[in-house]
Amino acid sequence: MVKRTGNAGRNVAAGLAVACVVGLGLLAVPSGAGAAPELPPISAEDLLASVAKAKPEAFNGTVGLENALGLPALPNLPQAGNGDSTARIWSDGAGRGRVQLPSPQGERTLVSDGTTFWAWDSSTRTVTKHSESGHPGAKPDVNATDPTGAATEAINRLRSTSQIRVDGTAEVAGRPAYELVLAPAAQERTLLREVRIAIDSEKRVPLRLTVLSNGSNDPALQLGFTDLSFGPQDEKLFTFTPPPGTKVEEGEKHDQGQRPQRPEGVEPTIVGDGWDTVLVAKRPEGAPADKDQPDKNQPDKDRPGGVDLNALGTPVSGAWGSGRLITTAVASVIVTDDGRIAMGAVPEQVLTEALAK
Amino acid sequence: MTTSSPATFSSATLAPGGSAGSAVGAPVAARAIGLRKVFGRTVAVEGIDLEVPSGAVLGMLGPNGSGKTTLIRMLLGLTRPTAGAAELLGHPVPEQAAWALPQVGALVEGPGFHPFLSGRENLCRVAAAEPLLASSEIANAVGAVLKRVGLADAADRRYRGYSLGMKQRLGLAAALIVPRRLVVLDEPTNGLDPAGTRDVRRIIGELHEGGATVIVSSHLLAEVEATCTHVAVLQAGTLVATGDLPSLLEAGTSGMVVVTPDVELTIRTMREAGATAYRSESTEPAVVVKDGPPAPEAISLLVRAGVSVHEARRSRANLEELFARLTEETG
Amino acid sequence: MTAMTESTRAAALARTTVPTAAPRHAPMGRLLAAEARWVLRRPRTLVMLGVFALVPVLIAIGVAVADDTPGPGSGLIGAIAGNGFVLPIVSMTMALGLLLPLAVAMAAADAIAGETAHGTLRGLLVAPVGRLRLVGMKAFGVLLVATLATTAIAVMGLLAGFAVIGGADGQLITLSGTTLGLGEALARVALVVVWTVGQLAAVGAVALAISAYTEHPLVVLASVLGGLIVFGVLSAIPALDWLQPYLLTSGWTAGVDALRDPTPYGGMIESSLRALCYLGLGAGVTVHRMLRRDA
Repeated sequence: MVKRTGNAGRNVAAGLAVACVVGLGLLAVPSGAGAAPELPPISAEDLLASVAKAKPEAFNGTVGLENALGLPALPNLPQAGNGDSTARIWSDGAGRGRVQLPSPQGERTLVSDGTTFWAWDSSTRTVTKHSESGHPGAKPDVNATDPTGAATEAINRLRSTSQIRVDGTAEVAGRPAYELVLAPAAQERTLLREVRIAIDSEKRVPLRLTVLSNGSNDPALQLGFTDLSFGPQDEKLFTFTPPPGTKVEEGEKHDQGQRPQRPEGVEPTIVGDGWDTVLVAKRPEGAPADKDQPDKNQPDKDRPGGVDLNALGTPVSGAWGSGRLITTAVASVIVTDDGRIAMGAVPEQVLTEALAK
Repeated sequence: MTTSSPATFSSATLAPGGSAGSAVGAPVAARAIGLRKVFGRTVAVEGIDLEVPSGAVLGMLGPNGSGKTTLIRMLLGLTRPTAGAAELLGHPVPEQAAWALPQVGALVEGPGFHPFLSGRENLCRVAAAEPLLASSEIANAVGAVLKRVGLADAADRRYRGYSLGMKQRLGLAAALIVPRRLVVLDEPTNGLDPAGTRDVRRIIGELHEGGATVIVSSHLLAEVEATCTHVAVLQAGTLVATGDLPSLLEAGTSGMVVVTPDVELTIRTMREAGATAYRSESTEPAVVVKDGPPAPEAISLLVRAGVSVHEARRSRANLEELFARLTEETG
Repeated sequence: MTAMTESTRAAALARTTVPTAAPRHAPMGRLLAAEARWVLRRPRTLVMLGVFALVPVLIAIGVAVADDTPGPGSGLIGAIAGNGFVLPIVSMTMALGLLLPLAVAMAAADAIAGETAHGTLRGLLVAPVGRLRLVGMKAFGVLLVATLATTAIAVMGLLAGFAVIGGADGQLITLSGTTLGLGEALARVALVVVWTVGQLAAVGAVALAISAYTEHPLVVLASVLGGLIVFGVLSAIPALDWLQPYLLTSGWTAGVDALRDPTPYGGMIESSLRALCYLGLGAGVTVHRMLRRDA
């Protein structure tokens, strides 16, 4: 009926509008929050052994980092601060790989082509080149030892301080995975509640690492694939040609990617073991009495020691002396006025005990 | 719901229209059945029943705010009635407006055009939307209609610079861009000079000759009287009279006009004698007497009452008086 | 009362038979052409397109001037220096923040509210242009403005990129440090144009819906501007993080992904799906309103 067309049209239009609002809601629902997949039960030992046995494969994926550690954002390492960041990873399964760290304003690209390690930073438009000769692949050669034995040994070692169990299953990046849980043993005095590692049920590679601290249900740190697919990758991804017109710097001896070099002559001492290990070190530079700003001309801003720690934390004192306490969700740090630093995934009291030793 | 017209006036259904035009399609060009429109709390139009015969030129009379424009908008399907139904060229509107409107030209609520375009460009835009106009004919049709409304010389000037009269002419042109079976003109002479008014009158005459039905709303009574075959009078949203013009005027002539300085006395005397008496709208002091005693008797009554009767004549009712009386009684 | 209304209506309908033939309409192509002509003759549209053409030129000059000073620039602007192909993409991304949505809102405001204010909408309706076709015609006009404005930025961005900044031998240096050839670079620019027009179509649909409810064009403009500001504020509040996936604006940085290599399409796909939802919402509300709107 002609009369109806007007109303029918209006109903269709209203339906479309409502459907789109619903659609918007569905889009907003995070994917991957599916039900836990059904997997055959497995013991922690068997699981770890199979991980050790797993052959590296070519893959590409996106890794998401959800950081709620409560650390201040460091100038050259924005990923340290609270927030989410992602990395895109390609690997040929044979030691060559590519990592891209996008930020809203640019991107850093790290390429290991087997002989050379390239680092590109779009904000400075510089390429840094490191020779990889003599530097073993990122993965330790686990195949050299008997994987089952290694796993058993590792577990035995961990068992003295931890409870290890397989705790159900999870879906990570659309792949079914076992959840391996490491929890501190009862006598451990730590801020951490547990560490969960999701392990791909088929490929037996870790897919996600979750760090949970006491007193919070949300992870303090979660690092995991949001997207992952296995298969051969484009060869071009494992090469890097510096773009025309950019300056290429020869890097110093390559040392663990982004990890800042440890200042010479400052060997930390380790107090305790297991979950409540405390690291005590000398403050790298500046006289103990130097309570002012560290020298701003020091070109070592990316070292933890280069950050002005005096502005952080709350003052504390005790038999060990006095200093400032910085606490985060998973760790505590005390910087003493006499230039020592104590840190660990422990409450304040454990730190002060370590300092008093 | 009061739908009836005042008792003094028969709201006779309209007779089929003039000699010309009745051959075209439906006998009724436009129809309203119990139309009612409410805007918020304001009742704009209430219980209007109206039939416009094909070929008629209907003058829609009423003071500003009497609901003329609202009625026209409902007939054209631009506004949905709160209650009742409307029909255009035999099609219910707004449901089947798409079948009727191609043959309907309308100038509603003044001309609406874009100031940054010339008159010709504005008309081309209107023409592009006309279903009955072939694309190849657009330029010719626009040129012809511009000439017809007397805008040929100003066609390529920006609409922004048009005078009120020129704007009105352009609005008229948009309504006439294709041959129509029904043309609806809402206050077409607004802002027009006497020459423009004559042109509108000529165009309405041409449309009538050509067999089209025309609905003209106006508050200018002389305008309507000069061009219309039928009249509908609106007052405060209701229809107070409809009919063809001669019979309306005939119906209004059953009285006499007494020209006298003693207006109040005359009215009193005549009302005592059982007549309807009211002051004439004309400039001279006069009283209109209706339904009273026969004329000689009435005059002698007046003379006896001491009224100085300057002149007494059979009332030659014109539309103006009719309109005044109708609106006075209901208002 | 309503029963009576229905019965008179039914009686009126019963008297007339439903026409068997479809009603005649002006050809849709002719309507669209008329709408395009109307949009493009509007002085403010032309001024706006001129302004958009200026955006990349101004950025190019800014970069060229800043390039003389020593020290590497940082951020996206820094990526433009000596890398002309980046200019159109960065210009589009920057204009998408405010200028482009406002231009589209202006077009949508004129399309319905403006026509109502001029009294021209009823002229179209009595012609008659069917109400659904009228919405289609108006949506086309808005989309045309969005496309032209975006293309103006892209084309002027390319020209200014080469003239003022100079391309890296006709190549595009991506944010990821790879180098793309001319064809691939042009394809990236085209991708961002298409994606940007998609986002603007969503803004336009919502603006048209607002336009359908008012006869004051400024209301539309103010609503869109207000909406952008509110969305911006909401997305800046950490406690309202969960709102992010619902906000149209939260995906508007995804255009920069075209400068990464290999291109991560996830952001653009997600924001396009979101735009599609907004588009459908706006279209539904507009049609719902326009099928009944008094004119």
